[in-house]
Amino acid sequence: MLLSSVIIILREVLEAALLFSILIALAKHSAVGNHWILWSLALGLVGAIIYGMNLSNISEWFDGVGQEVANAFIQLFIYAVLVIYMGVQVYFKDQAMTSKYWFLVLMIVITSLAMTREGAEILLYFFSATRRENHYVSVLIGMIIGASIGISVGFLFYYLLVNLRSLWALRIGLALLILVSAGMVSQASLLLIQADWLPAQMPLWDTSTFLSEKTAMGQLMYALIGYEATPTAIQASLYLFGLLFPVGIIALVNSKSIAYNKIAETK
Amino acid sequence: MTLVILSSLTLMIFLSALNGYRDSMAKAEQLFDSELIDKARLLSLSFSTQTINTQSNQSLVQHKISAITENDVFAFQVWHKNTLLLKSAFLPDTAIANFKTGFQDNNVLHRRWRIYGLYNKTNNLWILTAERMDLRYILAENIIMGTILPVVIMVPILGLMIWIIVSYGLLPLRKLSSALSDKRADDLSSLAVEKQPIELTQVVISINDLFRRLKVSFLREKRFASDAAHELRTPISAIKIHLHNLSKVIAEDDQSFSQLKQAVDRMGHLIEQILNLNRTSPEQYSKKFTTIDVYELAQNIVVREYAQFDIKNQQIALEGEHAIVQGDVFSLDILLHNLLSNASKYTPEGGSIMVTVSGNKTQTQLQVQDSGPGVPEEKYERLFDRFYRLGGDRHASGTTGCGLGLAIVKQIADLHHAEIVLAKADNSSGLCVRIIFPKEKLI
Repeated sequence: MLLSSVIIILREVLEAALLFSILIALAKHSAVGNHWILWSLALGLVGAIIYGMNLSNISEWFDGVGQEVANAFIQLFIYAVLVIYMGVQVYFKDQAMTSKYWFLVLMIVITSLAMTREGAEILLYFFSATRRENHYVSVLIGMIIGASIGISVGFLFYYLLVNLRSLWALRIGLALLILVSAGMVSQASLLLIQADWLPAQMPLWDTSTFLSEKTAMGQLMYALIGYEATPTAIQASLYLFGLLFPVGIIALVNSKSIAYNKIAETK
Repeated sequence: MTLVILSSLTLMIFLSALNGYRDSMAKAEQLFDSELIDKARLLSLSFSTQTINTQSNQSLVQHKISAITENDVFAFQVWHKNTLLLKSAFLPDTAIANFKTGFQDNNVLHRRWRIYGLYNKTNNLWILTAERMDLRYILAENIIMGTILPVVIMVPILGLMIWIIVSYGLLPLRKLSSALSDKRADDLSSLAVEKQPIELTQVVISINDLFRRLKVSFLREKRFASDAAHELRTPISAIKIHLHNLSKVIAEDDQSFSQLKQAVDRMGHLIEQILNLNRTSPEQYSKKFTTIDVYELAQNIVVREYAQFDIKNQQIALEGEHAIVQGDVFSLDILLHNLLSNASKYTPEGGSIMVTVSGNKTQTQLQVQDSGPGVPEEKYERLFDRFYRLGGDRHASGTTGCGLGLAIVKQIADLHHAEIVLAKADNSSGLCVRIIFPKEKLI
């Protein structure tokens, strides 16, 4: 029980912790203050409780696959907001943030939604595991270990990013965000396959002997780059799209931003 | 920093705990498996097919089987060819696994079982020993949890200890930095070396050395200015006497002569102002505050300086009431003198200057308004800089000055803890300077 609860909690916490740490670190470099973190945490907590309490109702939607579909769409929505966020971040990289308010709203939406989804899963797991099993000590310890590892990794990532020079922090932060967001698309596609909204296929390859998803490292890779030991063709192609789309957006915005700066300079 | 150390430690400790957990679980699996093999061998040895109702068989049935309940970890079947000879009571009569040697995982009675098959050649027996996987997993976990639990409990305690140790270790550094930031800008006294830990002693010694050298060079600079000004007074006085003597032999309207006279006057003024600045500086100044009626003081100075206003045909008015402050007559005299001569300088001929004194329970106000061109608001702060003159060396008014007047006023106001407020004059475009002496300096 311990290992499975570690893996389940680690998966949820790590993803949210990584998103939080990257966004907080980038926000530090953009100097937009810290108030938004409290908003995110509060909204995320409330969202997680509400979503978690209604999950049994939601899961009955769409002939019993409501939970998968809802989670998939939350993931895709977070992905979309993340792409917009990255575009804004690149566009304003050399200037003072003129629309600070909207920038903060973007960050709060991303983090609180991620927390809502992950938090609801954690709450649900916690209550079902402690109610059903009479040996919940191992479940609890597993949860503590999983959460601690997730938060520690998140904090170390934050520390790394915050101590880099602004330009490098932005580059590495964006690269990590692109990987995390591509992972989200891959997860969403997996959820839609589970819900039969996307066709199930034979896996393209199996790397579970090389790096199993049931290890802490596998979970880190899962949260960080959306690692999947046995991806199907649809999943892999959606992952690739999820990876290339923000790269394209960033390249486009960057060229616009440079052109804008040049015009501003000649003025 | 504490958080980084703590995060790294937590990560490493928990990862290694997980690793240990997985290893121990694998070891426990091996242990349970070898137990299953042993049990199968034991059954195979003790079970005799020749006579089924031997005593040894009976005792097996009685003792072993009756003891086994559904919640027990262990179960078994003994088959002879395709006949079931003996089994745990709750097991079905069908074979729980294929007849093959070695381990298999199978579902029996809605549970997952780990089953070991052993073939007894001599008696043509198949012994199947089985253990419920979930129960043996829990059993193993309970044993291992005993080693994991202390680790989990230890981490927050470790965190607390790291936090305390790091904070304690950094305390001297924090104290030193707060001691440095609490220092007033002009306080160049040394820090106490003996209170510092060994690691910081050298830093403090270096800082003290820097302070000492700074102090010496500050003093040298200050003394040079005042000494030079003081020394220049005598030759200036001599030049003035010679000028006076010369005026008797040179025509009054000689241009060079009158310019020379103006230049000497200006130099004399500059030297007086530098000396005033030095005299009223907080380091030089020893407090000798007395009770002063600002209104009376203003009255005296207006009378004394009246000639200055008269030359430019300026109207000067003193309004208000008697109001007292705790202050130094000498420096307040300089303050008022500077304010009035500034007002006179920048007010055009025929303009007016208004001096107002007012007081209430909380403060005493001294206000000088001129009807000059005024000062743009964004320049207010700079007016108090030494040698700063609005619009460069020569003001638009065409008057000369050295740019020290308001710097001295500010210094004297600071000395009296008074506040200076600059504003636009009430009835003209001119400047209004308001000095507010706070209540606690009143009697």
